[in-house]
Amino acid sequence: MEGEKSLATLSFMELAVEQAKLALDSLEVPVGCVIVEDEKVIASGRNKTNETRNATRHAEMEAIDYLLEQWQKNGLSKIETEKRFSKCNLYVTCEPCIMCAAALSILGIKAVYYGCANDKFGGCGSILSLHSRNIEHLSSGGGGVERKGCYTCEGGIMASEAVSLFRSFYEQGNPNAPKPHRPVQVPQ
Amino acid sequence: MAMKKWEILHIPDKIPFKPDEQPTVDVFASVIEPKLTNTLVRKLNKVAPMENYRHIKRVWKKKSVEGGDFQLILILCIVGENGNELESIPEDVLELINAHQLSPFVAKVHKYAAISRDEWSEQCKLWPTSYHPPTYNIEGITGFNEEDSESIFHFMKMALELTQLGHCTGKVVNAAVIVDPSTKQVIASANDQTCQASASTMIDTSFEQKDTASSHQSDADAVAIREALFCNSSHALAENKESYTGVSCLYPWNWSEQNSIAGNAYSWHPLRHAALVAIEHASSRDRRLFPGSLDPEDQPIDQRSGTISSPNSSPAKRQKFDITKDVKVLKTCSNGGSHSEEGEKPYLCTGCDIFVAWEPCTMCAMALVHQRIRRIFYAFPNPNCGALGSVYRLQGEKSLNHHYAVFRVVLPEEPMKT
Repeated sequence: MEGEKSLATLSFMELAVEQAKLALDSLEVPVGCVIVEDEKVIASGRNKTNETRNATRHAEMEAIDYLLEQWQKNGLSKIETEKRFSKCNLYVTCEPCIMCAAALSILGIKAVYYGCANDKFGGCGSILSLHSRNIEHLSSGGGGVERKGCYTCEGGIMASEAVSLFRSFYEQGNPNAPKPHRPVQVPQ
Repeated sequence: MAMKKWEILHIPDKIPFKPDEQPTVDVFASVIEPKLTNTLVRKLNKVAPMENYRHIKRVWKKKSVEGGDFQLILILCIVGENGNELESIPEDVLELINAHQLSPFVAKVHKYAAISRDEWSEQCKLWPTSYHPPTYNIEGITGFNEEDSESIFHFMKMALELTQLGHCTGKVVNAAVIVDPSTKQVIASANDQTCQASASTMIDTSFEQKDTASSHQSDADAVAIREALFCNSSHALAENKESYTGVSCLYPWNWSEQNSIAGNAYSWHPLRHAALVAIEHASSRDRRLFPGSLDPEDQPIDQRSGTISSPNSSPAKRQKFDITKDVKVLKTCSNGGSHSEEGEKPYLCTGCDIFVAWEPCTMCAMALVHQRIRRIFYAFPNPNCGALGSVYRLQGEKSLNHHYAVFRVVLPEEPMKT
């Protein structure tokens, strides 16, 4: 691709950032995403791990669950669902973690665009590379040489916006940390 | 009861090697003038960082054979795919070599950080490395007493029983049971719901409320049946892979190929693997038993704290998660009763164990990191996508902010068949 990010890419990422801000407002770790099909946003999600007390409720999982529910309501079959996912792109403010990267591979998403890298948990290149999983593990389905479960991945889109949201979250002294590493500012 | 032999094997953080058979990599190194050390190390850290080899000391203060004197040897860079000819050295490094008239040669260093003192002392014979003994000691790594073993077998049988209860096509599925070992209480259990009859969503809540009492009741007669079903499962697994296509973690990419019964009576979800559903049950139990979720003091979740990768966040990056501390906290608060009686709110699944029939896939294994599970017990390895030793080994990924201990429970084999 050309060095310059396309306007569409940036505008979708802006929507993902909006979602991350919603998370921040709800005292959640600020990560947000949107899922795009045919240049249209069809789902959005934000991190909800605190509210649900379920640490797997990342933005990606929220958006995916919404889509699966909608599509099932509309009577889509598994094959149709798989076909739809293969036309979808995900825009997320932070590189998907290992869990989400694996989930996106299972669903067969087309492409992932992310903001900042995730140097502790990243599953799209930082720690593991689940978007380009090994050919040798592809034969289990017996479906030939099709690269099932691989998707393209591009990072660094509006990364500074994503990072500054994380910074505001941790600078306010994460009141949720079990043993705060930075002092919590308690209003007097 | 006359038990055939069960075994619990610890699955270590990395593939174990004999101390003298640890893998090595080639590096370009050079003897340097002591006064150049700081300058060169600083420049090399920029142009040729050794990020995946942090255990290796960049500079070796090597005693010369005659004794007394020493020389400094510096690693310039890792030998890349282009071979160990000098021409393959990256340009930035070559510039430094020329500027300081260094004479590079090829040396060998150890590829992985040592996990024991034995490995470490062996490594240092080749090239000095650093060694950090584990900062945590999870119970069981050094062995289980009889009572703990019995309890582990008990909960594993419970998980194995659930594998027979697939909702969809009558196939065997994966199953998970989350247990608080300090009270021996089942926190949540579930099996794969990648394909499920809508009506059976009722089961979700009943699983959550299952406690020790009811599980013990079912135990006596169920054990015999399960033993019969599973005593030669490892053989069956090897011989008859077809019968396990319903196990989500074994075939995560095949969800669209699985038959589902036509019509809207069935719902399905490609990601509802047993471990994820069990986590969901545990979290909804948590919300039910400990309401008042919106008090921020109670909600310590740190989803992606290391994500800011700017260099000035390094102090925070160095924080170590100390499991022993958390286990201690958990033990004190659960003394003489469960969390619910004490009114203490648990933090996710801190201190809890999970029993799964099959080794979790990458997605599930990472979910269990997020939910702060303390120990994972599985019965059958997952050669397709197992992330706890088979394909990946998440328990050994140092960058993660939480680490669990992993064990395989080996079921007794049918003596006739061996």
